[in-house]
Formats: sequence, C-alpha cells, structure tokens
Amino acid sequence: MKGDRPGLFGETARRSRRGSSGSAGRRARPGSSGWAGGRGGGRGRGRPGPRRTASPSARRRRAGYLFSLPGLVFLALVLAYPLLYNVWTSVHDVRLTELLGGSSPFVGLDNYRTTLDDPDFWHAVRLSLVFTAGSLLFQFTIGFALALLFARPFPFNGLLRSLLLVAWLLPPVVSGTLFRWMLDQDAGAYNALLRAVGPDSLAHDWLIDPGTALAGVIFANVWVGVPFNMLLLLVGLHTIDPELHEAAALDGANAWQRFRWITVPLMRPVSVTVLLLGLVYTFKVFDLVFVMTGGGPVDATSVLSLYVYEIFFKFFRFGEGAAAGLLLLLVPLLAGAWYVRRLRGEGEAA
Amino acid sequence: MRPRRPWLFTTGATLLTAAFLLPVYWMVNTSLTRPDRILAETPRWIPAPPTTENYTTALSDDALLRALLNSVVISCGVVALTLLLGVPLAYALARIRMRGSGTMVFALLIAQLPPTIVLAAPLFILERRAGIDDTYLGLIAADTTLTLPFAVIVLRPVLRSVPRELEEAALVDGCGPVGVLLRVVLPIMAPGLVAVAGLSFLIAWGEFVFGLTLVSEPDVQPVTVLLNAFVGTHGTAWGALMATATVISIPVVCVFAAFQRFIVGGLAAGTVKG
Repeated sequence: MKGDRPGLFGETARRSRRGSSGSAGRRARPGSSGWAGGRGGGRGRGRPGPRRTASPSARRRRAGYLFSLPGLVFLALVLAYPLLYNVWTSVHDVRLTELLGGSSPFVGLDNYRTTLDDPDFWHAVRLSLVFTAGSLLFQFTIGFALALLFARPFPFNGLLRSLLLVAWLLPPVVSGTLFRWMLDQDAGAYNALLRAVGPDSLAHDWLIDPGTALAGVIFANVWVGVPFNMLLLLVGLHTIDPELHEAAALDGANAWQRFRWITVPLMRPVSVTVLLLGLVYTFKVFDLVFVMTGGGPVDATSVLSLYVYEIFFKFFRFGEGAAAGLLLLLVPLLAGAWYVRRLRGEGEAA
Repeated sequence: MRPRRPWLFTTGATLLTAAFLLPVYWMVNTSLTRPDRILAETPRWIPAPPTTENYTTALSDDALLRALLNSVVISCGVVALTLLLGVPLAYALARIRMRGSGTMVFALLIAQLPPTIVLAAPLFILERRAGIDDTYLGLIAADTTLTLPFAVIVLRPVLRSVPRELEEAALVDGCGPVGVLLRVVLPIMAPGLVAVAGLSFLIAWGEFVFGLTLVSEPDVQPVTVLLNAFVGTHGTAWGALMATATVISIPVVCVFAAFQRFIVGGLAAGTVKG
C-alpha cells in the first residue's frame, strides 16, 4: 500500500494551507536572512530588464507556463498516456508475440465481455468487497477508539502516538513478511499466544487454510491502516470545542450521552473523509496480499488487484488485463470524484 | 477536560501500543535469535543471548547488497526527479495566475487515484517498446508518478506561505522569475523541501509493484522485490528473512524520526478545517 500512500498526504494536505503556512512561517526567519545575504550580492540590480516588450504580469504568466511545463510533460508521458494506452489495449487483442512487432486486431468490447463472463473475476470482486469492508470496519472502529484515548492529555502521549505511526510507514512488503511470520502455524507468535491462553486447538494455520486466509490478510491490513485512521480522527476530535462537553456535563449528561450526542455528530464530516480515503486505498491494495498469500490458497485471497496482475503479467492476456484494470479503476475514480466535489463544495461554503 | 489520573491513561496507552507493535518487536527479536532456536515449540520473548548470526548470513549475500544499492539509487533518483519537476510546477501553481491552473490541481488530485497495478500494466508494454524496461531510468520514472503529484500538492501551500513582498522586492531589484525562485523562495521553503524529499524517499524505498513488474534483471531490482522472492524460496529461513526485513526498515524509521513533526503536522493540518 505504500505506493498508494502519497495520496494520503496529498489529498488531505490540499486543505492544509492554514496549518502548513503556520509552521513554515515560523521557520521562515533563518531562511529569509539567508536570502538577504544572497541579495547583498545584488548582481542583478544594475542589469536593465527587458520589460519594454511585455507587461510584468504577462511575463510572469509566461514564466508560470514554462515552470509547469517539464512536470506536466512528464506526467503526460508517464501517467496520462499509459492510462489512455490502457484504454486502447482494452479494445484490442494484444498478446505477447504481437508485442514484439505484430498486429493487434481491434476487438471492440470483447475483452470486457470475456472479463465480465469470467467467474474468477466475480470471485475477485466479491473478495475485494469483503476485504475492503472488513478492513474499513475494523481499522475505523479501532482507530476511533485509539483516537478517543489519545485525545486525552497524559504523559508520553506524543511519543506513543509516534510509535504507532511507525507501523504505518513500514514498506508493505515488510509488513506482509512480518505477518506471514506472526501467523505461522508452528512458530508464529500469535499462535503461541493463543496456545498460552487456551487449548492447543486454538492455534491455526491462518494463511494456509482457505477458510481463514482472507481473515488473516484483513487482519494485517487493519494493522497497517489503524494508525492513519487514528491520526486523522484524532485531529478531528481536537477541533471539537471542549466547552460543548463541559456544558453538557453541567447539564447532567453522562459520558456515553456526551459521546453519542456531541462527539459522533460533530465527527461525521471527518469520518466520511477517513472512510472514503480508506475505501480508495484499500480497494487497490496489492503488495500486502501478494506477499502474504500470493492470492492463494486456491484463490481464497485473490482480490481484484491480484486478478489483474495474474491476467496481465502471468498469462500475458494484455487486452483482458487492461479491461479488468479499467474496471478496477472505476471504484477509486468514482469515490475520488465524489470526494473532490465534496471538498470543493465545502471550499465554496467557507 | 483533564482526566483525573493521567498516569492511568499512560499505562493503558503504553500497553495498547506495545500490543500493537508486537509484530515489529517480533521481527527484531527473531532477527537476533539463534537460527536453531527460532522454530522452537515455545518462542522466546527475549533473544538471550542475542546473536548477529542472521545479519551476517543475510548481508553476506551479494544479491541483498546489490538490491540495497539498487534501492538507494532508485530512491535518490526519484527524490531528485520529484524535486526537479515538482518545485517549479508547485511554484507556478501557487503563485502565478495562469489559465487552467485549477484544472491542473484537480488533475494532480485525480492522478493519485489509479491503483499502481493499473498503471504498471501499460507502462510494462510502453517501457519495453521504448527499451527502458529493466533500467533504473524506467523504474525511477514510474515511481515518480507516485511522488510527483503528492509533492506538488504538499509544496503548493508551503510556497504560498512565502511572503509575497520578498519576491516583489527581488523582482523590482531586477531578478528574473527563475532568480526569484532560486534565490528567494527556495531558501525560505527549505524545511518543506527537505520533508517532501524525505517522504518521496520513503515512498520509493517501499515501492514494490513497479519493481516487480517493470524489472526482471537482478542488477536493477529493488530490495522489496528481493525480500518477496526470499519469502517464497527460503520460506523457513526466518532468521535471515527477519534480519533482511529489519535492515530494510531502518531507513524508514530514521527518516520518520527526522521528519515526524512534518508528517504528523501535515496530515493533521489536512483534515482540520474550521
């Protein structure tokens, strides 16, 4: 999921103008004095600017386009073009041999039809839905509970919170390997703990049994997702005016009532954001599952991203792989479009 | 509201954090345990006495060293490319009134949505055609699609916080737009730049899907792909495996320790909104 992480910063940081500017402003002093030193060189001062030809604002605009050009060209070449090319591939019969210089006949929607007729595809869709729903449910509730705990002031609060975040930043391949080891039947630490608290039969080969492999993968993914959920929800909790709680307490509301009637409703917008980001990122998880089970046993954990990988990179059925990939893209795209619209709506309201 | 017994909360939070971090502890613990004790019936919670045997085994493998080197090269390349392309783009989007800049920002947000595997598929074909599959360049370019949109979106507000007066003063003094960016803006935003560089490094360091699909030469493969290959082939050599995993995690922990204020602050500021 690491590959998917940039968005976590990106999308949330989009609204961060106020916060970031605060911290950057604080740090601006040493930097600005350095600049003053640079200006002291003042070599440009005597040079006459070519200002006669264009107005300063037009010049600036031209500079703006020039500045953005390299980045935009790069993204067009390596991001936009490949995605569009994927659309082309999805309506052509592209095979490995043709990749080496053959022709790829146009087949219309055949690849989509093949994919939609494939029972394995629908199996993968179901697994993705269960994987996503299970991950979201647990990482959100556990994250919320931890956020409520960490919202209280207590010694070492910040340190413990930072430690939790380490789990989230580990490369997914490392987390996957870790959980393979933790869930191992014989020497796995979790099974050792289970054996310690109960009968030996509690120990289980979680990832080898098709009945529990998906649960094992969800377990690991929840572990990866909890810190992120906690952090965002914690920020949300801090925005709630403590006076509301105090007033309610004076009026005789108990802790549960204050939680139910103050915290929950005020946390709704943040919760929607967190769940939606979680949906986008969980739906496309690949590496964690790939490393833990490789999609097995017997396709028990072959979620949609692994299905696409198999069709494309294992069977080299490029056309069908491209079609399945575009179908996989649909969910995050719809969710993302809805989210951005929501953000914009808020922005206009503010 | 001030809880009456703050240390009680500290104790509870410590226990929960410890339980949560058990896998990480177990990784280090296993990596320091003698190989013949790792698969013992009752696992030992403390490696007594600790041994570096697993690390010696893991690091004596040329393939691992090569893969680590590859990952360093790739990650540094991604950081360089991200800053080189991202800073001017972010600056233009933050400061200069241009037609279509709203659309560009929107596109950058959308750019973060596609699952990596969906992008890896066409890139596999296209990079092969272009002859840059199995090269650092091909992998660096692919990884940068993950870091660039995010870097621009994070840097834009940082750039906006640079006092406009400073820039205008420099323009009046005869500095060109490039001079303003290099001499005035960059020094001020250095902390933000360093943090974005650190995060881009982390993303590239942990990247797996592109490494798996776009590269088959061991000479170019990143260490994440190697670790996965180890899990498959040396499935039971858990000691060396956990030593390798620990080695891969060390840069992550270091970078996080260095930039955690920014990471937490940036994320925090992101969701807070009046």
